[in-house]
Amino acid sequence: MRLDARRSLRVRMRDFAAMSAFAAVALSGALPIAVPAIFALAFIASLLGFRPFAKQPVLSVVALLIMAVALFGLALRGQLDLVIAAVSFAALVTGQRMLSEPSPATDQQVLLAALLLMAGAAALSADIWYALCLLSFGVFACLSLGLAVVEGPIERDEELPVSPVLRQVSLGVAIALAGGIAFFILFPRLSWNVASRRAGPSLLGGTTGMTDRVRLGGGGDIKTSARVVLRVAIEPPPRNDRLERYWVGRRFDSFDGREWRGTGQPRPPRPRVLIGETRGATLQRIELLPAYESRTLVGLAQPVYFGPANALNNGGSTAAQLEQVGDEEVRIVEDANAYTYVVHSRDDYPLLEEDAVKLAALTVLPPSIDPRVAQLAQRIAGNETEPEDIANKLETWLRSNLSYTLELPGEVDDPLSDFLFNRKSGHCEHFATALAVMLRTRGVPARVVGGFFGGEKIGERYVVRAGDAHAWVEAYSPIRGWMTFDATPDDGRGSQPPAMMARLVDVYERLQEFWRARVVEYSIIDQWNFVRELVKPPANARSAGSKGDDDPDALPLTKTPTQAFVYAGIAGLLVWILWSRLTRARKKVHPAADFLTALEKKLIAAHLPYRLDEDIERLPARLAKERHRLAEPVLRASRRYLEARFGNRPLSGAESRKLLDAVTPPPPAQ
Amino acid sequence: MSGRHRDGQPTWRERLRRWFRPPRTLKTTRIGRTYLVVTIGVGLAALNTGNNLLYLVLGFLLSIIVLSGVLSERVIRDLRVRRILPDGAFAREPFALRYEVTRKEGRAFAVRINEGGGVLDGWAWIPTIAAGEPVVARADVVAPRRGPLKLTEVQVSTFFPFGLFEKTRSFELEDRMVVWPRRGFSCEPPDADHGQHTGDHGNQRHRDGSGDVQGLRELADLEDARRVHWVKSATAGKLLKVEREREDRRQFTLKVKTREPGDALDLECEETAAITHRLLADGNDVGLEADGRKIRPGAGPGHEKRILSALAMLGYGEKKE
Repeated sequence: MRLDARRSLRVRMRDFAAMSAFAAVALSGALPIAVPAIFALAFIASLLGFRPFAKQPVLSVVALLIMAVALFGLALRGQLDLVIAAVSFAALVTGQRMLSEPSPATDQQVLLAALLLMAGAAALSADIWYALCLLSFGVFACLSLGLAVVEGPIERDEELPVSPVLRQVSLGVAIALAGGIAFFILFPRLSWNVASRRAGPSLLGGTTGMTDRVRLGGGGDIKTSARVVLRVAIEPPPRNDRLERYWVGRRFDSFDGREWRGTGQPRPPRPRVLIGETRGATLQRIELLPAYESRTLVGLAQPVYFGPANALNNGGSTAAQLEQVGDEEVRIVEDANAYTYVVHSRDDYPLLEEDAVKLAALTVLPPSIDPRVAQLAQRIAGNETEPEDIANKLETWLRSNLSYTLELPGEVDDPLSDFLFNRKSGHCEHFATALAVMLRTRGVPARVVGGFFGGEKIGERYVVRAGDAHAWVEAYSPIRGWMTFDATPDDGRGSQPPAMMARLVDVYERLQEFWRARVVEYSIIDQWNFVRELVKPPANARSAGSKGDDDPDALPLTKTPTQAFVYAGIAGLLVWILWSRLTRARKKVHPAADFLTALEKKLIAAHLPYRLDEDIERLPARLAKERHRLAEPVLRASRRYLEARFGNRPLSGAESRKLLDAVTPPPPAQ
Repeated sequence: MSGRHRDGQPTWRERLRRWFRPPRTLKTTRIGRTYLVVTIGVGLAALNTGNNLLYLVLGFLLSIIVLSGVLSERVIRDLRVRRILPDGAFAREPFALRYEVTRKEGRAFAVRINEGGGVLDGWAWIPTIAAGEPVVARADVVAPRRGPLKLTEVQVSTFFPFGLFEKTRSFELEDRMVVWPRRGFSCEPPDADHGQHTGDHGNQRHRDGSGDVQGLRELADLEDARRVHWVKSATAGKLLKVEREREDRRQFTLKVKTREPGDALDLECEETAAITHRLLADGNDVGLEADGRKIRPGAGPGHEKRILSALAMLGYGEKKE
């Protein structure tokens, strides 16, 4: 490859490396919009070979300085995060260098600036895209550097093979990445603080999994979303990987004929909210992800205690205050990207003494309600007077006579009547509204609950998706207290994303979960566990009679850690020896080398070994000088060997034998 | 101190020095230093914040450093170097020193070769060396001063794979060469040994006189027309000139008077070398008297080399190195 082609290839790889590094920053979504625009322009111009700064280096540096002053001025005034200002400046420097005259030195400067971008992106993003960008940056940067190194201090327009360089550097990069992972795992963590910045809603966007009102009408688009909105670690861990349980978010008690709202008043913020008895409750450590985009806390039905919460933002993690709004919801006061908190839940409702005024409010119907609704409820419930029986009958009727659909185009004046008497199909909000209103027509206090239904185990934790958003009904019985009823058919409760999309998002979420658990939140405890696993003796190293680690009668370990290290060292040595042997066996031996070996054996047999500083080239000369009778055949054999070895004239087997036979000394005379 | 006994065996000090000398030397390049600073910065940031992504970047950066060591070792491990000396070299003037490099297996990249010990400035660059294919690289080097020059080792360095470090391996490769004095300037030539010059003396193509006729050739521009062979010229239809053996050639014996080694002697050697070259180019015979030794006047490139070698060795006495 000639110089121009090599330079072009090198510069393109450099630009792609810079773009990879910048993508890592840009995907965090933290940069001012001008910076990505400028960098994109620089990237495209560089790819097209347009380098305006090659002839205007001073002007470009002055422009860069002005931008630096502007950026850091904004940072000093508190209008821009200092890290974001620094990363933006690094991006501008990278762009400026990309548009300068390309040379190995310029390339190195671009790559160093891009490396700073990668470091900056590590502080801004914790998304899995970072791994992809780091991988891409590493590969392109190393290949570009490798090509620049082979050029040497002075670029010469001569033919150079590029593929061997790229091949060897690529292999090196693969090893470097593996080594990087090993370093990452084993490098001692001297800080307990895992200060990764929180990712935004990511490329897949956010969802509104929890709103402050339920409005009838429109489709149920959210049911098709596969985005994970919360992750939960549950203690004690459930046995099933699919939970199929209700996650309570918010209760709505007021209906105006079109939408449900809450009427509760917020109480003063507190760090913890106790609702009921926590004994025997299931503990959940919940992480509300940026995709959730709400401050309403969620817990398995029925939450009785919300513990300490943290708001996670770009500035890190801070303790958050909780605000209870009537009996409707518990929400976090602070606005942040994501939240973590603890919640305790019991299967039964907390024993609350509901007052008559409150219960009366839960039977209020809007004046515009269609009278056919009450007639329908009357017809279904018949003479039943017990709230539980009425609710069961209405629930069964709704499930069996109406169908579930997400296809609800157009607006109607009375969505409830339209659902019950015209369309006869709807989604969970329609079913829940119908059941709650029909219960109220029968004098049963009822309210709609918004939350999620489902839960799927991915990795060590359960996840809840935006598509799991659901609405159901709570009804009050003076005898039984609060009860849960769900009129939505079974096929409409969980998320319903398209199959392909669900699969893709599932893979993405699993990768994201793996990335988060194994990389972003990797801690000194994980490191310690990893090392402990390495030195842990096998299970059969203990006596057969021992019952476990805590068994006082258990015999001591048969191997100490020191011994384990020694054994590991010996094993490593054996592997190395084996590997050396195998690689040596695979080395290509030139065919002429076998001929030389055979010839040397013949010479030794003829008592003609090499003298000091003598080789096969010099031996024939000595023999000729001594007028040895084997001088001529040795000369022929040595010349033929040299031709075969270095002159690209292969030596056939028959010719080899003939030449070697000629070197054989005659038998001694009798 | 030569570092060797008279029988050629290295002294114990030389052996000790060799034993303690590391097999490889490592230097960071300019970008390598910046890289190390960035690596340390990322490491400190990772330790300070506990950000695992910074640890990941740090791991990658450290891994690149280790990889640089491994791949550069692969490059310079299996190399054989042979030095090809030039016919002659003048002090403080660039001359070509060639190296033949071979390797048995694998490929080597980004190899730089220079003389060890700082005796010669300059280096040769080889972008790539394939197994079994000898590569000859030329280094334009400069010797600082005249005299015998002992070349003891060749340093082979590589910047592969990323240009962050320069790893160097030394090959013990002994050679000797004589560096002639620089021909920087010359003053007026001294008087000839005897006789006056005649003919077109001073012309580089001058080759006539009154000796035996050597041949005829066409008269060149600006040549003396008195040596034209008019009869043959008339026959041939062009001006032909008679060429004879030396007769106009004058003899000069240059003398170097300074005996003590030093700048004065170096200066006189340079002047003598310059005059020698000029006189020989003018077609004269030049001899030399210096330090009690005498070179009889002669001509031709070989004779000039003899004089230059004698001048190069002046002041170094019996010591040949």
